[in-house]
Amino acid sequence: MSTDDAGRNAGDADGAAGPDAADSPDADGDEAAPGLYVESTIIMTTVRLVSPFILTFALFIMFHGADTPGGGFQGGVIAGSVVMMLAFAYGIDSTRQWLDGRVIAALASGGVYVFVGIGLGAIALGGQFLQYAEYEALFGHAIKYAIELVELSIGAIVAAVAIGLFFLLAAGFDHAIEEDPS
Amino acid sequence: MIEHLIVLLVVLPILGAAVPPLASLRYDRVGWAVATATTLGHAAFAAALAWTVWTDGTVRYAVGGFAAPYGIELVADGLTILLVALVSAVSLGVLAYARHAGPHANTFYSQFLLLVAGLSGMTVTGDVFNLYVFLEITGLAAYGLVASGPGARSAVAALKYLVIGTIGASLYLLGVGYALAATGTLNMADLSVKLAEVGYDSTLVLTAFGLIVAGLTVKVALFPLHTWQPDAYADSLDSVSAFISALVSTVSAYALARVLFSVFTVDFLEAVPTARWALVGVACVSIVAGSGLAVAQSDVRRMLAYSSVSQFGLVIAGFAIATPLAVVGATVHLVGHAVMKGGLFAVTGIIERRTGATTVGGYAGMGGRVPVAAGVFTLLALAMVGVPPAIGFVGKWYIVLGAVDAGVWPVVVVLLASTLLTLAYFARLGERLYFAEPTITSGSTAATDGGESVSTGMIVTVVVAAVLAVALTAAVPVIDQLIDQTVFELIRQ
Repeated sequence: MSTDDAGRNAGDADGAAGPDAADSPDADGDEAAPGLYVESTIIMTTVRLVSPFILTFALFIMFHGADTPGGGFQGGVIAGSVVMMLAFAYGIDSTRQWLDGRVIAALASGGVYVFVGIGLGAIALGGQFLQYAEYEALFGHAIKYAIELVELSIGAIVAAVAIGLFFLLAAGFDHAIEEDPS
Repeated sequence: MIEHLIVLLVVLPILGAAVPPLASLRYDRVGWAVATATTLGHAAFAAALAWTVWTDGTVRYAVGGFAAPYGIELVADGLTILLVALVSAVSLGVLAYARHAGPHANTFYSQFLLLVAGLSGMTVTGDVFNLYVFLEITGLAAYGLVASGPGARSAVAALKYLVIGTIGASLYLLGVGYALAATGTLNMADLSVKLAEVGYDSTLVLTAFGLIVAGLTVKVALFPLHTWQPDAYADSLDSVSAFISALVSTVSAYALARVLFSVFTVDFLEAVPTARWALVGVACVSIVAGSGLAVAQSDVRRMLAYSSVSQFGLVIAGFAIATPLAVVGATVHLVGHAVMKGGLFAVTGIIERRTGATTVGGYAGMGGRVPVAAGVFTLLALAMVGVPPAIGFVGKWYIVLGAVDAGVWPVVVVLLASTLLTLAYFARLGERLYFAEPTITSGSTAATDGGESVSTGMIVTVVVAAVLAVALTAAVPVIDQLIDQTVFELIRQ
């Protein structure tokens, strides 16, 4: 019973804080997220040190999709986890402001376009869909470059979807009930 | 260009699905326009592909230029183009309905197009692992669409669908793993040869069959594994339930038929009678249990959902009998059911918007209030029961003839019994609609939901569905010939 009440109170607090934060972006961060985010020097410093390495590792995994274990899916998830780590260290709201929604949308859709573009380009050059060998006529080692590009685009899509899902879940469900009655 | 049509059928909706997220940065309601333009393109490609297959026979396409047993192969034969055409047509119908009925969010149409891509992929693929990938794309898009409804009920339904659907897909993947271990190949045509070489009594092959069929049965929603389906259909938005009820289980049933005829072949069913009888048994139980549960429902959409459990039992029974007549019957019923059930779900949406009625009791006296919708509902319901000129009759008739031919008497008995039960629950609704005193007065409904309006597009969609439910009977010879060209080759092998 008591836990139930507590949960409801927390939900109410979130609901009250959500619109406030949206209305006044200059509002104090401490008030907007009560009790969730703790500013810790240790965590912030660690994340600042580790993030570049993890992002590099993510790219390393993505580039390895062609001939060794690895690939866009695994690398994309690791790249997405960098943003989640930043959010845990610096607060979700400030991370959301730092990483524009447009970037996430562009990564997700752009990844699809690059993938499909490489596939359709092969058709335009007279091959089958995704027949990388068709690009060999244009420049050397085109098969490898094309596969790497496809892996990178998959990585971009996966990372963008992981980040987008994280932000959506973190935003709670208040915004989800904006049914348009028309 | 013409030989690339088959891959473009899948690529185009994916390309379209990537547009709304970018577009929504600037515009609010472009999702519908993007989806419609993409689906029109999809329909054009489907028509061109259908023409190619009709004139030149089966189309094969090696993705990436990797030759067939090693690379992913896409195959379009008569059965494929039938399903591709169905996917295109139903998508356009649902879009016409959703233009006004909503939802209007851009992201909804992204998921819509992803679902079209997944369904098209499942239809054209000639590779069992590729089929799994598209099964997952279809599933994920469908879970998202179910969850797009308002309120917690649709979220719970989507979660249930997600959990059970993922188990089904995993079972299928496990089965594919066994088949790969037995044969070392994933290509459907190659598998059919290699499985025979391994021997149909091999434990690996039998396990693969069991797991693959069990996985797909979850997706088709046959009786003991149907539990995701009534919630997913009844608790989602009307646009979504019309779309999903018409296509998702239908294409899964097609995939099951594809696995039966193109991968395991009829020889396997002949060699392992237990497998065939198990499938016929599950189908028969599903027919009876689905009809029985449908009779017991008071919510109309839930009743329609259980009716689908029963009808898919019928389709799978037809495929499992595997004589030419029964397969034609099952295919006709598969296509007919999609049109009829999609139309029925759409028309329940119209009736609910106009009057607020959702239950059998609430439908009382609505025949006078919403004459067109009630008329369409009655017509589609009669078609579903199997009243002669309608497509529902032809499908059942062929399946019964096939069952009698093959001497599978339990199917005949069950089918006739289920027809009576179908008549029972639809007749109850018809009686309510036209001969009962209204329980919902017009005054009280003006207040509910702010009196939602119904557009001409929505009405036209359901009327077209009703007309098709009868007119498709004329197309049965075409379907017969399409299957004659392709599936019978497989059956005779």
